[in-house]
Amino acid sequence: MNGRLAPLKDIVAIVGVGETDYAKDYRGSGGQAVEKGVARYDSYTLASRALKRALDDAGLTKSDIDGLCTANLSGERASELWGLNPRWSGSGDAAQCIIEATMAINAGLCTTVALVYGNAQRSMDTAYGGARVTGGAITSYFYYAPWGMTSQGALYALFFQRHKLLYGTTEEQLGAIAVAFRKHAGLNPNAVMQKPLTITEYLNAPYIAEPLRLYDYCLINDGGVALIVRRADMARDLRQRPIMVSGFGWSEENVDATQLRPRLKSFYHGAHHEVAAQVYPMAGVTPNDVDVFATYDSFSVHLLASLEGFGFCKEGEGGAFVQGGRIELGGELPCNTSGGMLSESYMQSWNHQPELVRQLRGGLGSRQVAGAEVAQYVHDVAGKCKSLIYTKGA
Amino acid sequence: MATARPVRAMDPYAEQFWAFTQARELRLQQCADCRKFRWPPGPTCDRCLSDNFDWRRIRGTGKVLSWTTFHRGYFPEYPPPHTVVVLELDEGPLFVSVPVEISPRELREGMTLALRWTDGQDRLGEYNLPVFGPMNG
Repeated sequence: MNGRLAPLKDIVAIVGVGETDYAKDYRGSGGQAVEKGVARYDSYTLASRALKRALDDAGLTKSDIDGLCTANLSGERASELWGLNPRWSGSGDAAQCIIEATMAINAGLCTTVALVYGNAQRSMDTAYGGARVTGGAITSYFYYAPWGMTSQGALYALFFQRHKLLYGTTEEQLGAIAVAFRKHAGLNPNAVMQKPLTITEYLNAPYIAEPLRLYDYCLINDGGVALIVRRADMARDLRQRPIMVSGFGWSEENVDATQLRPRLKSFYHGAHHEVAAQVYPMAGVTPNDVDVFATYDSFSVHLLASLEGFGFCKEGEGGAFVQGGRIELGGELPCNTSGGMLSESYMQSWNHQPELVRQLRGGLGSRQVAGAEVAQYVHDVAGKCKSLIYTKGA
Repeated sequence: MATARPVRAMDPYAEQFWAFTQARELRLQQCADCRKFRWPPGPTCDRCLSDNFDWRRIRGTGKVLSWTTFHRGYFPEYPPPHTVVVLELDEGPLFVSVPVEISPRELREGMTLALRWTDGQDRLGEYNLPVFGPMNG
């Protein structure tokens, strides 16, 4: 696997990032959270704003774009809005789009891809549980409704309950994750939730799907993110230092997924191990070399799974690992330094990429991971796992 | 009137599964070639890709793997608190269900629960819902 992926190392760079004003857009004039279901934005408004900012960040114009990945948007409508006739297009989560854009650039289909996501989920009052759940891609999200089973949060509650039963992981240990991410968000002026959270406040918050509490759940907010991915030899002499895509991996643990077997029997570690065996050798690094880490965090539990699955700690020891500030800025492995989807913005994998790029560019002030050279993102949605490693390149 | 429940996801195989419940029979597909039990129902065996299968009546016992209690209401038919349990059936498949005649506090990892039935209906019709309770219940 190493031999087959190695030629793709560092052939593309992230040259521009753009995000909308998550914090500002979340608050009404009185400073309180805007109501769900009151349409202030649509997804295209947010995506357009993020695209413009990413192009400005890179110092490029739309005429430089010859490939387009869209997420939560119609590719045709987005292209039309932005006056683009792409030579290649794709769609998916951030990691999938970056991997596929790399392959398209490597194949010579295009040189400069805009990856654009927009989600007006608060304006539209998008439901992630109950009778209004839509979409058939993941059967377990809707199949057990007759028994009253619904919501991705409840599926992760089953996951954490199993982890508790097998390993004795405590709710207080899990709470360290939400507390750490909130601490990071407090250093991020664009984070939706910046008010400090103590472990006592975490434990006093109501259960949603026990054993998960309010602060184990991500936000529901409006936003957009755009990334500009460019062939590395064309990435020099732009406005920003190019950040290299140095490694990636992809594996999906789908056998008996609706039964929840990989979720409850292996905690998706089968997929994690497959991805780890691709991403680290390709980038030529090990978990020890990772300076800043981000994981998909629709729920706090994701971090336990990815830390154990990618070998940062032993299986079952994630609860102990996240204690004592180890995952906080200044700790051994700072995780989700923007505040993540729990506290910065629920951009479904997209907001993690600008943060890792910024950490490698440097200059983030109090949020900066000193001397960051290697950044890793782990994506795991119901066992559909991918990972990316970014570096500053040669 | 049977108890209203959130609507079932339906396809030709699910339709057959739910039809058996009208006679209070919990039947899962077993591959006629390699004998693997599968759930949820579907057209092929994921182990050998055979489309030959039998609807086997299962023993109706399984061991508790995990559970969660909803403290927020998602379905009007299931006001909180509502508990859901995941069992590993003797035949192999994992099965999401509702624990009955036992409080969530009494659930234990590896505890054996046994099949019970309760009624149900949605806009697709009436059926019986397989739920699970204590062995000596």
